[in-house]
Amino acid sequence: MRIVASRLATAGLAMAALAVGSTSASAAATEMSPPATAAPQDDASADEVAEESAPVHVLVKASRLIVRPGEELENTSVLITDGRIISIGAELEAPEGATVVEGAVVCAGFIDPWSALGMEEASRVDRGAGPATKASDGWSPYADEHLREEALRAGVTTIHLQGGSTAALGGLGALVRIGPSLGDEALVLSDVCLSATVGLSADGGFWGGVRAVDPFDRMQQIDRIAQNLGSGQSYSESWAKYESEIVEWEKAIAEKEEELEKDFKKAKKDREKDIEKAEEKGKEYKEKRYKEDRKPRRPKVDRDKAVLARVANGEIPLVVEAHRASEIRGLLDAIEAFKRVRLVIAGGTEAKSQAERLAERGVTVIVWPALLGSSRYDEYETHDLSLAGELAEAGVKVLIGSGGREAAATRDLPLLAASLVGHGLDRDVAFGALTIDAARALDVADRLGSVELGKDGELIVLTGDPLASATRVQYVISAGRVVVTPED
Amino acid sequence: MILSTIVTASLALTGAFEGPATEGAPLPAPTPTAEESVLQPISVERAVAFKAKRVFFGDGNHVDDGIVLVQDGVIHSVGADVAVPEGVAIVELDGMLSPGLIASHSYEGLGAEHADSTRPTMPEADIAMAFQPHHVDFAKTLAAGVTSVVLAPSSATLIPGTTAVVKTSGGKVVRRPAQLQVVLSNDALNWNSFPTSHAGAMAELDRLFSEPTGQIARATSGNLPVLLSADDRSDISRAVSFAGRYRLRGAIYGSMWAEDLIDQIAKSGLGVVCNPFDVGEDSRGMRAVVGLAKRGVRLGFGLDAPNRDPENLRFGAALCIRGGLDSKLALKAMCSDAASIAGVERRIGRLERGLDADMVLWSGDPTELTSSVVAVYVDGTLVHGGGE
Repeated sequence: MRIVASRLATAGLAMAALAVGSTSASAAATEMSPPATAAPQDDASADEVAEESAPVHVLVKASRLIVRPGEELENTSVLITDGRIISIGAELEAPEGATVVEGAVVCAGFIDPWSALGMEEASRVDRGAGPATKASDGWSPYADEHLREEALRAGVTTIHLQGGSTAALGGLGALVRIGPSLGDEALVLSDVCLSATVGLSADGGFWGGVRAVDPFDRMQQIDRIAQNLGSGQSYSESWAKYESEIVEWEKAIAEKEEELEKDFKKAKKDREKDIEKAEEKGKEYKEKRYKEDRKPRRPKVDRDKAVLARVANGEIPLVVEAHRASEIRGLLDAIEAFKRVRLVIAGGTEAKSQAERLAERGVTVIVWPALLGSSRYDEYETHDLSLAGELAEAGVKVLIGSGGREAAATRDLPLLAASLVGHGLDRDVAFGALTIDAARALDVADRLGSVELGKDGELIVLTGDPLASATRVQYVISAGRVVVTPED
Repeated sequence: MILSTIVTASLALTGAFEGPATEGAPLPAPTPTAEESVLQPISVERAVAFKAKRVFFGDGNHVDDGIVLVQDGVIHSVGADVAVPEGVAIVELDGMLSPGLIASHSYEGLGAEHADSTRPTMPEADIAMAFQPHHVDFAKTLAAGVTSVVLAPSSATLIPGTTAVVKTSGGKVVRRPAQLQVVLSNDALNWNSFPTSHAGAMAELDRLFSEPTGQIARATSGNLPVLLSADDRSDISRAVSFAGRYRLRGAIYGSMWAEDLIDQIAKSGLGVVCNPFDVGEDSRGMRAVVGLAKRGVRLGFGLDAPNRDPENLRFGAALCIRGGLDSKLALKAMCSDAASIAGVERRIGRLERGLDADMVLWSGDPTELTSSVVAVYVDGTLVHGGGE
């Protein structure tokens, strides 16, 4: 119990405590302490809505239901009520008032783990961003409306946004649904990960073009990440120490209270006697000091360090955009001391050379199949579409992203995945990268990424194979509603 | 080196291709075509029959379990019921065969040599002079299943020169000059030197085309197709009327804004070479292609490698298919349509009797991005992949 902490700080503790009682709470301590994980807030609001209005049902009938990669059911229906999948079966009856949609192939909506759709450009590249800067604050559910519509029609229902790409640490990533345009419903998580970049070419400024970051700058950027992780870890440790001390202290106080209460009359008499004595001697009475009076000092709240602490403790992943082999090697070296850090590399153009270490450390790589030309001399110079296939072959977890630069690119995520399959990536791995594996890496596998009971009803209904060129998305069900219907 | 390949190529063009005389089993009742003269009776030693699960002819049609019979780098016969003379080697291919893809506008291996801004009009400048057949760019393009590209001069001047069709392996120039390029977009205008305006540019073009000489005369007499670069709708309108005025045949390069002008383009008889499609491309570009294809306009896809990954060619086609383009037409645009726009339809672009045996073996349908290039053959020779 931390609730007594702020009030019982000083001496008259015994008496005062008994008089006042110990019910007040310390808002600062409970809210700001790093170990307390923020619960997703939209659960509560969704339930509230449900209480007020009649349940909303959507029944989706599939000739072929892709439950998860490699697991399919034929002629199966999925019932979604108030945004959750509540039943899956062969012969489900549509509840009264249910919207019924039907299609050839049904699967979980695609997740773009590296998108810029709806992200304000200034926030996306904000130089002044810090660990506690939230991408969700730079995102507008109303921006890029026609691009959002196109992305939905391509089957992408959920996107991960990151900000501060030109800052050392770009802040907290946001996971949003692009189906509903309502802010609260759209935001799934506002603290998906901490994002950072290493070695990215910067805008050339007045003279245009790109300005490469030199090797010393790059190494410095990696060092800075390591230092930040270190300060996050010590922040976390100092809070942990404080919390264990405060527990002990509270226990000591409780014991003292009990002791004093037991001998309350005696203590009161002793105190009155002491006051009398002091008066007789013409001295000022001093409250007796107990050793329990020394309250452990609460560390200063630091929002940036609180985020770094969560990263150091592995509560949220660290997503670093890095491309060169030396940078990736440097990052792996830098996090060696932080065993719980969950590293995700975004880009990873030259990650092949580090594949073994990446697999060993369990690092996920978000591949950006950029289709760039070879006539460039920056961090993408050696880009190759075989990257994803070769990494996966080596046991590295692979995701596929649209690069987090162009809002419009999210629409082409399924075709980019198809391109990677054409260059050696296993089909199921590619499909998993768009669905369940992305959900896992972003810590939302309990809600998204596959068609299972209890998960969010984020489904797409397609005319054929999800990665085929001619496939059309007929329906998209997001946040419990049908948000896309066939165009013609 | 370049010179000799050019000579061979032009000989082949004029139908003077000669191989050593052979005796062998004659082909049963061959259907006569225009290219008959280049064909020799089948020789057991020199002919090879390729069998594939599906053979795409490149003109929008295909046949399952097809055979392509090749001799001396030239296709002898294609179909499901090709009689392979006894003794001819048969290669069983696990996959689908298509003609080698053709990029209708590209810059591989040209380095800085495709841009000359010293004069606004250089109709005699031949881009084939800048062609470096062994440049590393071509290997990547070849690996993407593209066996021929239309090399184009940079569209930074009014008439930057003529294009050339070259193969991405072996250094053959299929045709040069292939098209006379005329730039009707803002790219040709300068702020401080002639021409500074569209009106001025058009006046200069009218001056040159009303008393034509050299390549311009070949264009106005219908012997050389044109490639009219256009960025926006007014460029396209100007291109259509310019082509009509001088009875030019050929194509417009630049499809992005064509959606509103489909009718005019279809009536003009011009083909359209699409700008390369990038990831996240504006959907108006795809709508234009779908609309043009519906009206039967010949289409080609630009690539502009090495500034883009050669995979952009098929990616652009896939984007258009997602937008509603029939996948058969998408493949046709990368094969026979591209060849006919560049004036090389009697050499490449289809798997047909008498044409070069430039073929790609795919793991599946070439218009699916999930399909990969298994092997590439140029002039009947395996030049990429095919191992194991």
